[in-house]
Amino acid sequence: MNDPAAIELLLVEDNPQDLELALRALRKANLANHIQVARDGAEALEFIFCEGSHAARQISDRPKVILLDLKLPKVDGIEVLKRIKGDPRTSMIPVVVLTSSKEQNDVVESYRLGVNSYIVKPVNFEQFAAAVRELGLYWLLLNQPPQVTG
Amino acid sequence: MSTDAQLKASLKEAGDFKAALDEHAIVAITDTQGRITYVNDKFCAISKYSRDELLGQDHRIINSGHHPAAFIRELWTTIAHGRVWRGEIKNKAKDGTFYWVDTTIVPFLNEHGKPRQYVAIRADITERKRVEDELRASLHEVNDLKAALDEHAIVAITNPQGKITFVNDKFCAISKYSREELIGQDHRIINSGYHAATFIRELWTTIAHGRVWHGEIKNKAKDGTFYWVDTTIVPFLGEQGKPRQYVAIRADITERKRAEETIQRLNAQLEQRVAERTAQLHAANKELEAFSYSVSHDLHAPLRAVDGFSQAVLEDFGPQLPDEGRRYLQTIRFSAQRMGALIDDLLAFSRLGRKDLAKRAVDTGQLVQEILGELGSPWPDRQITVRTGELPASPGDPALLKQVWTNLLSNALKYSGKRSQAELEIGCTQTNGTTTFFVRDNGTGFDMRYADKLFGVFQRLHRVEDYEGTGVGLAIVQRIVHRHGGRVWAEAAVDRGATFYFTLGPEAKPGEPAP
Repeated sequence: MNDPAAIELLLVEDNPQDLELALRALRKANLANHIQVARDGAEALEFIFCEGSHAARQISDRPKVILLDLKLPKVDGIEVLKRIKGDPRTSMIPVVVLTSSKEQNDVVESYRLGVNSYIVKPVNFEQFAAAVRELGLYWLLLNQPPQVTG
Repeated sequence: MSTDAQLKASLKEAGDFKAALDEHAIVAITDTQGRITYVNDKFCAISKYSRDELLGQDHRIINSGHHPAAFIRELWTTIAHGRVWRGEIKNKAKDGTFYWVDTTIVPFLNEHGKPRQYVAIRADITERKRVEDELRASLHEVNDLKAALDEHAIVAITNPQGKITFVNDKFCAISKYSREELIGQDHRIINSGYHAATFIRELWTTIAHGRVWHGEIKNKAKDGTFYWVDTTIVPFLGEQGKPRQYVAIRADITERKRAEETIQRLNAQLEQRVAERTAQLHAANKELEAFSYSVSHDLHAPLRAVDGFSQAVLEDFGPQLPDEGRRYLQTIRFSAQRMGALIDDLLAFSRLGRKDLAKRAVDTGQLVQEILGELGSPWPDRQITVRTGELPASPGDPALLKQVWTNLLSNALKYSGKRSQAELEIGCTQTNGTTTFFVRDNGTGFDMRYADKLFGVFQRLHRVEDYEGTGVGLAIVQRIVHRHGGRVWAEAAVDRGATFYFTLGPEAKPGEPAP
């Protein structure tokens, strides 16, 4: 866990502008090191479960936090969340849903599946940047993940 | 035997006859003038007159007045001509009671062939007459009942073998068979084939066991049309306790059955239509949800990019830009954010139509205090006086009512924002059992000429640079109030403040807005 090159944050985002703005906000908060980006749900699952192009990775090298958009190509965010929280090897990874959707169904379903936080992306960039900065600070620097073997 | 002895013997014999007759019959003898010359004891007993009272009188003394004059005349003519009269006479006794006597009057002639006297022999038939009268009365009653029944009902009588032995006119009329075609047939002649064999079997089992059967039967008339009859079959038992015959009384219920079938068909159609509409509505709602979801998600993303990259330009290249360029970028950002707000409000508004109401009693006073707190009460940087009156609890959806109060109170705060001393009044009035809530401010108000635009979506009566907003708040208020069955309206004047009123249910007396 002390490998300095280990991935700390998995950012799952299909929209290139949102992705760039999120990375910009993380960089401005000095949180941009060791970020893995997945552009759809399938890619995210490959990374998390060390399949396909990520087959060489160890599943025990868990990211400290996953930022997950809900509306994603191929496999949607709710399905990704279900897989992560349904697998004992990955269920302890904090997942923050970061989405445009204010639909109550999505919020309720996400919490039912065990999401750790749910953030609606604001249009206002300062608010967006603040949200990204705060959740990055909390999950990457302050939150002490439970020690899990597996 | 001497003549004398013969005479004596005859007299003795006559005396015996008379004694026997007196034992048996009521006897009177009348002379040719009709005066009573002899009565026996039975006559006295039945007429309740003494012999002395009767002798020398004529029969008018016991005349009941029952018989017409012609009857009496015919009697006298008969006997005056020397012929025997026989008949039944109603007489009146001394105490005013009546009695009937079967009467034979025998005229005895003199040597000239003229009546000498009349001997009337009577038998008391009062009891028989009474029984006859009763019988006649009850027969009469039975006939009346039968006539009434024939007027009213379809009647048939069937023998134990099921053969029809009697039908009334109504039976013939409804079945369209003549009486001759029906008598001797069994009921299969009008069988519609509609009822199951078990139904018919149950009917026969019931009546064959001497029990009454009641039910509704569909029959077929001679012309092939069908008719429904409400049927009661009563078995009449013979001396061995076995059914002797069955009397079936029926009422035509074809119209009722037709109406019932129509109602059933209409109900089925209605149910199907409701199911279809519900399915359509459900599908439309689903579609709308999917649509809202994409709008929410996909329209926000480009706006975020417009705002975010404008900010990035300002942050990274701000110093190199002229003031005008920086102001333009700020305007782009402001517009993008405003459009985001419009989308959010529009989605919130459209969600209201789909959301089910979860009504319960809402503590209005507590709700208002809570919202004032959320809106920044007690506003340390503004001079605001809030007067809150008595606010009764009201039934409604708590989340939606909170939205109503929030929108009205934040409007009141917003539009009184330019007053050095803002005043808010929150209260309610009770008229005819209807509670009307109101929120009053002393703010900028509006021109009542535009009051009809107040509750339209995206309708605003103020410039966005004067008072920010999307123009959805009051549209949301109206939709929620309408969904609660209530009404919302406003009164205002330019620069003299505004008052918004609303009710949360049907009003007892619909009328003009009354403050």
